[in-house]
Amino acid sequence: MHGGTEVVPLLRDGILEGDTLVDVRGIVPRGVDGARVGAGTTLAELAASEDVPEALREACRLAASPQLRTMSSVGGNLLQSTRCWYWRLKYPCRLHGGDVCHAREGEHREHAIFANDFCASAHPSDVAAALLALGARLRTNRRELPLEELYRLPDEGDRTTTALAPGELILELELPPADASVYLKAMDRQRWAFPQVGVAVARSGGEVRIALAGVAPVPWLLDGPGGLDSATPLPRTAWKVEVARALVRRALERVA
Amino acid sequence: MPELALTVNGESRTVDAPVGTSLAQLLREHLGLTGTKIACDEGHCGACTVQIDGVPRLSCITLAHMVDGDVTTIEGLREHPLIDAFVRADAVQCGFCTPGQVVSAAALVAANPQPTADEIRHHMAGNICRCGTYPRIEEAILKWQG
Amino acid sequence: MARLIRTEKEVEGRFEEIWLVIEEDPLQQWPAGPRDVVGRPATRQDGPQRVRGEAAYTSDLQLPGMLHTAILRSPFAHARVNRIDFAAALALPGVRGALGPGEATGLDEEAGYVGAPVAAVAADTFAQARAALDAIAVDWEELEAVLDPHEAVAREIFTAPPTRYERGDFERALAEADVVVEGTYRTSVVLHNSMETHQAVCEWVGDTLNVYISTQYIWGIRAEIAEALEMPADKVRVVCEFMGGGFGAKNGAGEYTFAAAELARRTGRPVRCALTRREENAAAGNRNATIQKLTVGARSDGTIVAFGGEFVNAVGWSGWSTMTEGPMKMLYACDNVRTVRYGAKINTPPMKAFRAPGFVEGTFGLECLVDELAAKLELDPLELRRLNYAESNDGTPYSSKGLAACYDLAQKHWDRRDEVRARSGSTWKHGVGMASQIWFGGGGPPSYAWTRVGSDGRVAVVTAMQDIGTGTRTVMAQICAEELGVPLDRVEVVLGDSARGPYATLSAGSSTVPSVGPAVRAAAADAKRQIVEIAAQRYDLEERVLDIRGGVIVSADGNLSVPLEELLGVLGDAQILGKGARGPNPTGMSVNTFGVQVAEVAVDIETGEVRVVRVAAVHDVGRIINPLGARSQVEGGIIQGVGHSLSEQRLLDPKTGRVLTTTLESYRMPTIADVPEIVCEFVDLPDEHLTSLGSKGLGEPPIVPTAAAIANAIRDATGADVHELPITREEMLRALREAEQRANAGAKETVAAR
Repeated sequence: MHGGTEVVPLLRDGILEGDTLVDVRGIVPRGVDGARVGAGTTLAELAASEDVPEALREACRLAASPQLRTMSSVGGNLLQSTRCWYWRLKYPCRLHGGDVCHAREGEHREHAIFANDFCASAHPSDVAAALLALGARLRTNRRELPLEELYRLPDEGDRTTTALAPGELILELELPPADASVYLKAMDRQRWAFPQVGVAVARSGGEVRIALAGVAPVPWLLDGPGGLDSATPLPRTAWKVEVARALVRRALERVA
Repeated sequence: MPELALTVNGESRTVDAPVGTSLAQLLREHLGLTGTKIACDEGHCGACTVQIDGVPRLSCITLAHMVDGDVTTIEGLREHPLIDAFVRADAVQCGFCTPGQVVSAAALVAANPQPTADEIRHHMAGNICRCGTYPRIEEAILKWQG
Repeated sequence: MARLIRTEKEVEGRFEEIWLVIEEDPLQQWPAGPRDVVGRPATRQDGPQRVRGEAAYTSDLQLPGMLHTAILRSPFAHARVNRIDFAAALALPGVRGALGPGEATGLDEEAGYVGAPVAAVAADTFAQARAALDAIAVDWEELEAVLDPHEAVAREIFTAPPTRYERGDFERALAEADVVVEGTYRTSVVLHNSMETHQAVCEWVGDTLNVYISTQYIWGIRAEIAEALEMPADKVRVVCEFMGGGFGAKNGAGEYTFAAAELARRTGRPVRCALTRREENAAAGNRNATIQKLTVGARSDGTIVAFGGEFVNAVGWSGWSTMTEGPMKMLYACDNVRTVRYGAKINTPPMKAFRAPGFVEGTFGLECLVDELAAKLELDPLELRRLNYAESNDGTPYSSKGLAACYDLAQKHWDRRDEVRARSGSTWKHGVGMASQIWFGGGGPPSYAWTRVGSDGRVAVVTAMQDIGTGTRTVMAQICAEELGVPLDRVEVVLGDSARGPYATLSAGSSTVPSVGPAVRAAAADAKRQIVEIAAQRYDLEERVLDIRGGVIVSADGNLSVPLEELLGVLGDAQILGKGARGPNPTGMSVNTFGVQVAEVAVDIETGEVRVVRVAAVHDVGRIINPLGARSQVEGGIIQGVGHSLSEQRLLDPKTGRVLTTTLESYRMPTIADVPEIVCEFVDLPDEHLTSLGSKGLGEPPIVPTAAAIANAIRDATGADVHELPITREEMLRALREAEQRANAGAKETVAAR
């Protein structure tokens, strides 16, 4: 546990279980040092830092609530679980080891438009999308890896959405330089809401990366703006495709 | 039961509480400081906001045994000029969210004594008010004299 | 001399006949305009307490040995408890008692919705009580569940027989109309979500039951408990000095109160039963969804000749079917109106009254329909409203109606349309819309108050009313101070305890000021009369030349000027006790409140985002006692209206009927960042027929027209018709696409016609 904003509620709901809580605040680096960001740095600290790229700053600024931002570590934020109400209410869904995605047949208006066949949950992290677009790398206590390798789509054999091994801790992020970056967020009220669609775009030289929050079970790297043409929306998530198109277009204009 | 030592509103307090007790529970049930309210108990509404080393936090999802600084609750702010500003602006109806609003507001003005309306809206967005006192809260913070 | 009469009482649009005792002569109303105290802004008497966190709510109460209760709720939309076994639960640590179906009111054997309460367990800690729920063995028998209101209507599964209304000849008038507009409008289930959840603490002291409860109706709880427990009512003491919001959900006792009372009786310990926020979202009441099929017919000059509507209220398992057709019947002058309203009984959590029940929903449908009519007729929407102004309520005169004045005051806000529209760019479109409203709010008898004046000249108003956050406590102090002639800071209001003070009506239905206010004034007048009588004797003057002003007894010729405490100081421990009662409402008149709201919105036509930029509200609720508190009510109502319009929606799993939006993160109420600029004006003229105050209630009117004003502003900005609340991005994009298709079809038609 670092800030506990994810772990404490999940423990209380019985979704997470454990006999021992390990406070990792003393062992996970915190603070911004050039291109290196300690995983224990809070979202509030990142939102206020002049040294981090615009997309990351904006993603932090628009994430959650002011109090949650002071409490949440960036490392914890990357590992947060979906807000899918079926999952959170402990329906025996695919992510809980069951054999059905209740959202697909039920209420799914906040759910995914990509990779939603097996599980239609949406990944709620603004920060993950920003870091994905920025091409961030992670350093854990075991290895170094690009951020996209932290995430995996759940499948029949393995229902997890993150690829950390037991005992593995994210310690640091490394941010390659970006010439320009931006984060645009569509949410249900002006503040304090998870992304309906979050679009992060980063340009480095001629290369542009686009990553989306709220559209797939994991943060989603888009293969160019045309990538939205291969979206597979559910009947009630089609509107997200339209919103994503507009935000991707605007974000690309902003970094050009 | 593990003993816990905390500084609350400038006073050292020692409490016996099981691990897993939230800071909000500790304040309200063990220390009799019921000014801090619990409205959702899962970090979504801000009613339980306290300051730890001056930083606004949600006490309902803060484990008491993980508190790493000095705690300030609404009881510690009873002489703060924001109290009078809230009353004069009529920034209170049922009052259940109000202590959390004041604690957040006090943290805001400590860092930024004369925030703009946009800054107020950004920094107070984590304190939900069902009665809708928001315009009054904004006025209270714009007009407070400190 | 006491007189017994029969009179009519209205709460939230529901009328009943009651017996009433009238005692004193009616007082003359004060002339319009601010007085010494009444009509002037006053900060809340209990403001400092609340702001400092020193106000004690039911949730703050800790009694020695207090137990905590957890409620077992049905996981099925419809089921029966065939067998229930508490043995394992009672064996768990800390568990002190358990109740099964039928052992307390509200714990039922037949569960009619997911979340219906069937059993309760009390333990030393809440965690222990919660853990014990899992150990209760239940044999459930699942029954057929109906979740779709249309299915319920088709199968005639109703909470009450359909309500049909007709005046004039709708069919004929519609056939003769020049223009007809039809539309189907939908509103969603929204939740009260007061910040303090439903809860009570019950404690037996001898054969008296003390009930500490977060409630809107102290005396109602007393009566309900006494009846359910078959006790004399005066053995039930209900206490609620501060409560964290109600909005209509806390008018009754609820299973949590009855369970706590019974568990307290069995265990001999005080028992708290408090709903969690999840339970609050799942099963504590709601504003039910509606489906409204509406028709309006008009002449080309704008005269509305026919209104018709089929209204389906998705009531839920129980509750009442609100008057969603009320605005259609009442808001405009129209001779031919035909409505039918169905209360669909479905296996979903029951509705509860929520701030202007039925009229928020019905005004959305009606005012959008009327605006669409204006568009089709190419008439100014405000002019169309003026054209169809109702001078009476279908023949019954209004006690007062300031809607025309509201329209006049709203004109300057309405005139901003061109300026607002000019801000539109390629992605953000700006527009202005309006909606008008009618509601009730005349209050009614009975309610009582006492005025107690001590030898120190300080005054206490005593009445067992509740201040649910509306600031009525301060209003009563103002009324007393004004009538008695003392400074406001000399008056304290003692409320919130049924053992201390006489009956006061519930704080719902915009009732408190118009019901308790006149009683407070009468009590103050009674005390004043006694003081003047004493002064007359003491200073050997005639009563009619004496008055009290600013806490000083004065004579008309100016020769006498004695501070009140000097006169009363001779009394020692003796006190002046005045009493007052609320008299009847005017007979043969319709007592209503009125208003107009003008909303300015901005719509991002590519992403469907809607921002409410400004709302100007003009309301007529008779005389305003406290302009400061009144503005807060309007702002609060509008902000709830914005929530209803844009982001609040309770969702159910269509397969199981389980509530999915159980947290304040998934059920999204407005934050401070969502608030528009709000401009608030009042007509502020006393209703000369209504009580000695001429004041009506303001709790509900401000929420009624907001959604419609926003929807109409969206049409003005974009040409898109939104027919559903909340106006999510999905709905906004759908409406924009539909408007685009209509425009293209129109362009094609024009091209084809050439």
